[in-house]
Amino acid sequence: MNQMKQDVVGLIYTGERMDELQELTRWRAAAALPMVGRYRLIDFVMANMLHSGVRNIGIIMQKNYHSLMDHLGSGREWNLHGKRSGLTILPPYMSRENVGVYEGLLDALHTNINFMRKSTERFIAVTDSNVLYRVDFSDVVRQHVQNKADITLVYTRDRNARRNGSGRYLQIEDGLVTRMEFDPTIPHYENTYVGAFLVRRELLIDMTDRAVASGQHHFSRDMLSQLVSERVYRVNGYECPGRIWMIDSVDSYYRANMDFLNDEFRAQMFRDDQPVWTKLRDEMPARYMGDSHVSNALVADGCLIEGTVINSILFRGVVVRPGAVIRNSIIMQDAVISRGVEVENCILDKQTTLRDNVRLIAPRNHPIVIAKNLTI
Amino acid sequence: MPQKKSCVAMLLAGGQGSRLGILTRHVAKPAVPFGGKYRIIDFPLSNCANSGIDTIGVLTQYKPMELNSYIGSGAPWDLDISNGGVFVLPPYSKGEEGEWYKGTANAIYQNVAFIQQFNPDYVLILSGDHIYKCDYADMLAHHIQQDAALTVAVRQVPWEEASRFGLMNTDDKGNIIEFEEKPKNPKSNNASMGVYVFTWDKLRHYLEQDEGNPESAKDFGKNIIPAMLAQGERLSAYRFEGYWKDVGTIESLWDANMDLLSNPPPIDLHDRVWRIYARNVGEPPHFASPKGSIRDSLVTEGCEIIGEVTHSVLSGGVHVAQDARVIDSVIMPYAVIGKGAVIRRAIIAEHAVIGENAVIGGETGGITVVGSGTRVVPGLKLAAGQQLGE
Repeated sequence: MNQMKQDVVGLIYTGERMDELQELTRWRAAAALPMVGRYRLIDFVMANMLHSGVRNIGIIMQKNYHSLMDHLGSGREWNLHGKRSGLTILPPYMSRENVGVYEGLLDALHTNINFMRKSTERFIAVTDSNVLYRVDFSDVVRQHVQNKADITLVYTRDRNARRNGSGRYLQIEDGLVTRMEFDPTIPHYENTYVGAFLVRRELLIDMTDRAVASGQHHFSRDMLSQLVSERVYRVNGYECPGRIWMIDSVDSYYRANMDFLNDEFRAQMFRDDQPVWTKLRDEMPARYMGDSHVSNALVADGCLIEGTVINSILFRGVVVRPGAVIRNSIIMQDAVISRGVEVENCILDKQTTLRDNVRLIAPRNHPIVIAKNLTI
Repeated sequence: MPQKKSCVAMLLAGGQGSRLGILTRHVAKPAVPFGGKYRIIDFPLSNCANSGIDTIGVLTQYKPMELNSYIGSGAPWDLDISNGGVFVLPPYSKGEEGEWYKGTANAIYQNVAFIQQFNPDYVLILSGDHIYKCDYADMLAHHIQQDAALTVAVRQVPWEEASRFGLMNTDDKGNIIEFEEKPKNPKSNNASMGVYVFTWDKLRHYLEQDEGNPESAKDFGKNIIPAMLAQGERLSAYRFEGYWKDVGTIESLWDANMDLLSNPPPIDLHDRVWRIYARNVGEPPHFASPKGSIRDSLVTEGCEIIGEVTHSVLSGGVHVAQDARVIDSVIMPYAVIGKGAVIRRAIIAEHAVIGENAVIGGETGGITVVGSGTRVVPGLKLAAGQQLGE
């Protein structure tokens, strides 16, 4: 990947509707979902941009964005607090034309068109924030220029990203996108659009203005599909290698996290030369006591483990008391698992407490979510 | 012109730390990793941050590169501020002459101009080889209340060990009446911690006076304190209670790491009020493999544990391969322990690579050390108490 500065400004959209994530997104945007023991989903999106040489990033906020704002702060942890780099938080606001609620990405782009106008980079990379993957935008730019594209859509052939009844699928012919399909009962095309595209910044401003003027709201459903069918512009496809995780339900959230127990996927997402930055907590190392038993687990700093942890992920500051047994579960930060507790196939949100001898066992492959701050 | 500061801290971080053997061959002692996630200097720097002292000069001289880059802008300790912050102060040439720091007092003397910029009332002198949590603001309040020229932090040591320390003999009001360096027959058990609060005018006066004395070793303990006592200055002892450990030797560094594994530990690093900050390297959570086991240990983010870890302290990014065993040991950042290797009562420094089936250290005897970046060939046996380094 290219760490040199690129002529690309990044824009991350965090306004996806995420009803199927249930309690997990009740108080937070999908972008703020805690992931893999110490991250939030947006950290991986940011890492993609930063390791591609993108130095200016705007983040479009929609609802429940407090936890996201708290997480990002001044952008220091991502080295985005300099004079020649920057993190711009773009919260919704009311104007004469709208009430600050985006129907879709196109609305959001239009509302934040000044961010695009004020940027100076030649290209803009726009991404959704509910997808977990690695992509090198500098390579996307290279291919975009080489293919003389007007707009480049990033897609995957990874079947893990396919859903019956939902998603956006692309027909690709000679590298160009020739058809798009939305939420098909069974997808016809093997290429899944991952919700990331690259375009010349001024062209996007122009396209956005025109599409909104003609009454469109949705970027891909309305605008992109029209562009593709009219064939006025060259819509290029960039195939992203590797595993892609779409985080669109409790089940996919659970499986994406659990996949990190696999060496191969960890190696894909965590490379020595490309750290994934996140907000710091200054926790001490994890403390294992004499009777602890931990097998096939990811454990973050600040944990205290006196019990048993199997096939699970522990976020920062989790306490596991003696005799407690955690299996196939995701335990978010500062949760307390008391003596004699049994947890299996569960997702415990932040600061949950399970009192002595509580048993919480969900069926395999149907994880249940325990909401933030609950005591059971 | 910097704003006036009530108190400026000066951290003596230039010593060679030769008693740490090969561990300080490539880095200054304060930059030596400790407790999995920290470096020794994190303790005085975090104490300053938690005590509200935001202007710190760090005096470096010996192998400063790693220490300099570790301190960086000071952001991990909230010291990247525009009015004050952390300043690395190496010796520099002054016109015709340039000179190294010749002693603890001389190091401060050479930086009088740095301190004077802030026009402070008090100067706190710290050293970079102690593990402890101390509220310097409380010590400063004591100093002001006692109207002292110098306040020395002391802690009570067992009488039978007292003759190994510099002792501050006090009257019943806590005023220091005599200083004795490692006396055969101790009169008190108040050991100096090497932490001083000086009234700046007084310190400046005695530093200048000491510089004029060609016989002086230019040392706080040997020269400045005796001179102040002889000239009738008010010296007060500030009694510190709590965990304090000098980690200036291989054994004490290993001991202090092992202290973190006792239950409860004598120093709480989980303390939310008095957090010890460290520069974070951005590693993912550590992975505990189904093939391995971890007991009674501290394990930091970025580790991959496929073998067995018992009663040990592991820094970030350490890899313990299958069937390897790490027992009663301290493993510093990014060290790799090869398949089937056995590590006992040892310190393995940063980026060292232990070959397959090597046997490092023994169940008894001295602490065994493998230096940073050292590659230990497969099958090598390194007996207890030995040091191997590049």
